[in-house]
Amino acid sequence: MQKVNKNVVLAVLSLTSLVFLLFQLYYYKFYLSQKNGAVFSKARGSQSGQDSTRWHVVRKFLGLISIHNIPVCLIDPLILGLIDKDIEQIRSSSDGPSPECKYFCAPRDFTTFALLDKAWKHEVGLFRTAEKMGFQWLKVLNKDPRLDGMDDLSGTEIPLHYIFKLASHAIHLVVFYERSGNFLWHGPLRLKQHMDRKFVPFRKLHFGRYPGAYEKPELLLVSLDDLKVQIPKNPSSFLEEMSHSRFLECRYREARAFFQVYPDDASVDAVEFRKKAKSLLHLAALILNNLGVKFWLSSGTCLGWYRQCNVIPYSKDVDLGIFIRDYKADIIPAFQKAGLPLKHKFGKVEDSLELSFQGDDDVKLDIFFFYEEDDYIWNGGTQAKSGKKFKYLFPKFTLCWTEFVELKVHVPCETLQYVEANYGPDWKVPVKTWDWKNSPSNVQYNGVWPVDEWDEVIQIY
Amino acid sequence: MDEWKHNPIIKPHKKRSWYLAWKYKLMNQRALRKLCQTGAVLFLLVTVIVNIKLILDTRRAAYEEEEESAQDYDDEMLNVEAPRHPVSNKKVLDVEVYSSRSKVYVAVDGTTVLEDEAREQGRGIHVIVLNQATGHVMAKRVFDTYSPHEDEAMVLFLNMVARGRILIFTIKDEGSFHLKDTAKNVLKSLGSQVAPFLSWRDMWTFVGKKGGEVYGEKHAKSPALSTWGDPVLLKTEVHLTSVEDAECHWPDTELNRRRKRFCSKVEGYGSVCSCKDPTPIEFNPDPLKDNKVFDVPVAVIAGNRPNYLYRMLRSLLSAQGVNPQMITIFIDGYYEEPMDVVELFGLSGIQHTPISIKNARVSQHYKASLTATFNLFPDAKFAVVLEEDLDISVDFFSFLSQSIHLLEEDESLYCISAWNDQGYEHTAEDPSLLYRVETMPGLGWVLRKSLYKDELEPKWPTPEKLWDWDMWMRMPEQRKGRECIIPDISRSYHFGIVGLNMNGYFHEAYFKKHKFNTVPNVQLKNVESLRKDAYEAEIHRLLGEAEVLDHSKNPCEDSFVPDTEGKVYVMFIKMEQEADFTTWTQLAKCLHIWDLDVRGNHKGLWRLFRKKNHFLVVGVPASPYSSKKPPSVMPVYMEPPAKEEGAVAVPAVAAAEQT
Repeated sequence: MQKVNKNVVLAVLSLTSLVFLLFQLYYYKFYLSQKNGAVFSKARGSQSGQDSTRWHVVRKFLGLISIHNIPVCLIDPLILGLIDKDIEQIRSSSDGPSPECKYFCAPRDFTTFALLDKAWKHEVGLFRTAEKMGFQWLKVLNKDPRLDGMDDLSGTEIPLHYIFKLASHAIHLVVFYERSGNFLWHGPLRLKQHMDRKFVPFRKLHFGRYPGAYEKPELLLVSLDDLKVQIPKNPSSFLEEMSHSRFLECRYREARAFFQVYPDDASVDAVEFRKKAKSLLHLAALILNNLGVKFWLSSGTCLGWYRQCNVIPYSKDVDLGIFIRDYKADIIPAFQKAGLPLKHKFGKVEDSLELSFQGDDDVKLDIFFFYEEDDYIWNGGTQAKSGKKFKYLFPKFTLCWTEFVELKVHVPCETLQYVEANYGPDWKVPVKTWDWKNSPSNVQYNGVWPVDEWDEVIQIY
Repeated sequence: MDEWKHNPIIKPHKKRSWYLAWKYKLMNQRALRKLCQTGAVLFLLVTVIVNIKLILDTRRAAYEEEEESAQDYDDEMLNVEAPRHPVSNKKVLDVEVYSSRSKVYVAVDGTTVLEDEAREQGRGIHVIVLNQATGHVMAKRVFDTYSPHEDEAMVLFLNMVARGRILIFTIKDEGSFHLKDTAKNVLKSLGSQVAPFLSWRDMWTFVGKKGGEVYGEKHAKSPALSTWGDPVLLKTEVHLTSVEDAECHWPDTELNRRRKRFCSKVEGYGSVCSCKDPTPIEFNPDPLKDNKVFDVPVAVIAGNRPNYLYRMLRSLLSAQGVNPQMITIFIDGYYEEPMDVVELFGLSGIQHTPISIKNARVSQHYKASLTATFNLFPDAKFAVVLEEDLDISVDFFSFLSQSIHLLEEDESLYCISAWNDQGYEHTAEDPSLLYRVETMPGLGWVLRKSLYKDELEPKWPTPEKLWDWDMWMRMPEQRKGRECIIPDISRSYHFGIVGLNMNGYFHEAYFKKHKFNTVPNVQLKNVESLRKDAYEAEIHRLLGEAEVLDHSKNPCEDSFVPDTEGKVYVMFIKMEQEADFTTWTQLAKCLHIWDLDVRGNHKGLWRLFRKKNHFLVVGVPASPYSSKKPPSVMPVYMEPPAKEEGAVAVPAVAAAEQT
């Protein structure tokens, strides 16, 4: 009897565990499919039900925004990628019904749209209608960066992101703002404490990890999968722009603290120099952008941006950096044509190239070319009278956008390392006497130019 | 496996034999039985392991999920919601009210909501309005009923307060001298026993509900004319009502939700919070055809005068062609009530931490506001700058739309202003007429972005310089000989009587009789002739047709100008050099126009109207138009009265800033 009892116990246990097993399997599946439907649907092979859900959600959303007269633009990188493949066809095609759902049914978790802030009135009505249509929504607000640089202005917070969720699909609406410097800006997505962290898998969003800067794109109204939407006229260049759109805000608070310790120079000379430096920088940016040469703020100009969000009034020149791989022979003639004569040219394309142009009234534009090695980046310097070469080492960096004197320009994303390499750990202390051969903390002696090359590598005008 | 479940004990006897046979069979197949057992144990183990793994997996997935969204996407500054005012669910408020000669205070539930012990200030009756449901302070006023007419203002205010609100009164110093019977009766109707008998230097406190019960009243009579009544302290309890009872039941629309929020916080705005027939807060004025200023940002510079701001925004939002999206209100300081007004109208407001003091504070606030405006609207070429104490004419934007291209095209222009310093009821006539003037009037004006960004912003007076921003802008270093365009009849009206450099007398003398255009859609007539050179030609034409007045008569007399209409007259006054305004100032004084400094001149020429005739004044010989003077005419010279010199100098300083 005892043995049988044991059997019975065993059987009962197995049965319960089986039930548990089934239950857990079910739960696991349910959990996963809720979390990343796309992954699952892919695994199950493109299932038409899931696909048409996405299309339906997008259609509903487009309906919602057209009720409220809000002009949005499709910026979803996944869909734009698909569109880009047959852009010619899409541009030319008329409104005829499309045979298959090609774009909006593609597997994904989100569809991303852009909204230009000034193109709509902030309306509470939008959310009420959205709720009536079955959308759940989330709004992400934050401080207005356009007022950040100002002495203690506190505006109402501005909306940066909206997420509309319906069934298993979500619409991510990114709000773009116009900034001084004639570009568009979108903010980072940061959740406040009380917000639902699981509203959507935020990590998978294509926009919002960092703020971004974009040129104002031309738009095109097209018909995709029987839905009329606006898209950037040139999807591929938009996607390219998106891949390095990261934007850095100037450190306004630190700059204010800096000016507390070292009051700003508001003398006539300082005002004049800043005005000239600003217009020189605007001109240089115009020339280089027209040539398609990527450049960034370097040396003193970069320090000015990073430390005080302004031009350092006693710096006496404007410094730019360019990767040598972006060098073009047109650079010198283009500057000369714009009325900036070449002042000197040191080095050559293969080694330590440095250009200097003469702006108005003693304001000089220095362009340093940067050479990339495996684990560092460097630029060169040359002493005219002795032919001595110097090398300035920087840790590797990437480029980010920022706003500086009403201009959208690049700066090294890893600005602190860049500035520290150049100016040492005491970069926060203003130094008015600067010797470019000895003062920088990253300078290295790099030999002497052979005398027979001097004519080429040391040109002074 | 079902069979395994059969429990031998409760099995019916019939089946026992079958079970035994089966058991026997099993016993015989030991190996099979062992196998089954091992199988079962193994199966159990496997399911246990799988179960544990699944539990761990899902746990980890859930955890990661949390981590995922937490990383990167967390707001660095953990915005811990600041605990709001202690809105307890308490039903009773403890109220303490103190009245004495030199100090008054009111405490609600231990929180001091009013405390005034400043010398030489705050005399009269202090009134506080509390929300009957939340106990929040909705309005705070002081009426100096020692002085005339203040009791009328108090009656007006008390009539505006909604029924059911809790009213707290306390007297500081003296509050009865000009407290007339009307006011006393109103106080009596609120339930006060003492109010009708309040007399010289009595101390008095009163707490009651409008149209309801009285929570307490205390009074101390002054024993003699030369002494004050003893200080009184009233401690009482107020019973709160439910929120529903304290609100009106307007239809649930977006507008009414804004209204509700506003009306539950503040009092003293009249019919906007009326339950029955609230005044609209959306105006929808006619749009302008071909509106050139639709995209021009409008910056409203405000301080803590929420009632003024309310009046100003009503007129602004009623002006034809207004674009509410372009309006930003800049509030100097963290004041709640102005912000409530801004939100009532659905506009955007920005608060500014006050920097420096007095004039420099205003000046820094202006700078921050202008910079912010151009940051917020980077595309804008212009900004309209308004102040909170201005009424805006119905055709304000139409006036700007017709003239703004001049500011873009004519380098010799400094601004367009809606205000004519010399445009009084008796000196302005033609709404379609514009002038060029060398002074900058302010009070509703348009600023060019390039002027601000390239010239003004970089050298704006720093906080330690106690300069008026407008005086600074009028300095030759800034103005550089450029001129402003102004209308003959102002498109703004300055109604503020309290302000930094403003008081009732000053307002009465210089602003009250200012002419203000109320005609919509005025077609401006001489816009193109306002360009630099065209304007000279226009002036020469005018002077050519002008009739020279009889210079032997007294120019201050009305008879100096003939009783005609629509004619052009000219007179010549003495003006030795460009900065000699002796005669002009005397003339301005007797004509009762702006005489505190020189305004409205263009190359030694002033243009105004007298008795509906265009009246030109030319300064000889400094003005280039002096050549138009017939040789026989002797320019008028008026000497300043010597003894008034000192008296004039004082208000001139105070009048520097027109806020």
